[in-house]
Amino acid sequence: MSNTWLVYMSFAALLLFIGLYCLLTMRNLIKLVIGVVIGAKGFGLALVATGLVKKNIILAQALAVTFVVVEVCVVALALALIINIYRKDGSLDVRRLTKLKG
Amino acid sequence: MILEIALLCGLVVFSAAAIILRDLLKAAICLAAASLLLGIVYFRMNAPYIGVFEISVVAGMITVLFIVTIALTKTGGDVREAKAAEWIFPLVLVLFLAVDILVAKSLINKIPALESLPEQGTFGEVLWKMRTFDLVGQIGLIFAGVLGVLALFRKRSKDE
Repeated sequence: MSNTWLVYMSFAALLLFIGLYCLLTMRNLIKLVIGVVIGAKGFGLALVATGLVKKNIILAQALAVTFVVVEVCVVALALALIINIYRKDGSLDVRRLTKLKG
Repeated sequence: MILEIALLCGLVVFSAAAIILRDLLKAAICLAAASLLLGIVYFRMNAPYIGVFEISVVAGMITVLFIVTIALTKTGGDVREAKAAEWIFPLVLVLFLAVDILVAKSLINKIPALESLPEQGTFGEVLWKMRTFDLVGQIGLIFAGVLGVLALFRKRSKDE
């Protein structure tokens, strides 16, 4: 039982790591959003796996559904922001976002 | 369990490919494939509702949003990534995997044991009766998202 949990949690940690690595190193704005989505997958997996092991999967699913809605809202808003930035600057490079620099 | 591990390995491979690939369109499609695999894992874990959500919303809708964004920002969208970042990635991934395997077991034993509650009713009952407050928050969030996107794409008036 605990072994199942261990496997799922290890993979969830791996997914979170991939997402964080992408957020830390990439420069393309769309790639950054992809990193956020990958990290969110890891979190959802951890939530449902814990529900499975603790024999309370229905509650875990209810929470995970809430989380998916949050994720979709974040992605939609971030992509709208990216399109606006692209129209203003003509570039997707995160290093060129220096308009607000003091 | 072996099938689940294979699916999860595929999930990690597709996620890593989504980061490493230069072509954004290919990266978005890899992300959709990863979501599909995760949805199948959810089904195997006896969690069909979230599986359906994962496949329809994350694999379907988010991919469409990504592809629309990529199409709208096509010209000049080629950003030069740092060479070192792509180079080091497999190395760091293997390193993290090693640490993960070594440390996870002792960490997971430290998590205080939650009491396992008995299952209460169906999914609908739990979602609508127990988590009602969450649903109110979700509705507010969806409104905020819609208003945000509308505000970002509104027509500029002439004096702006």
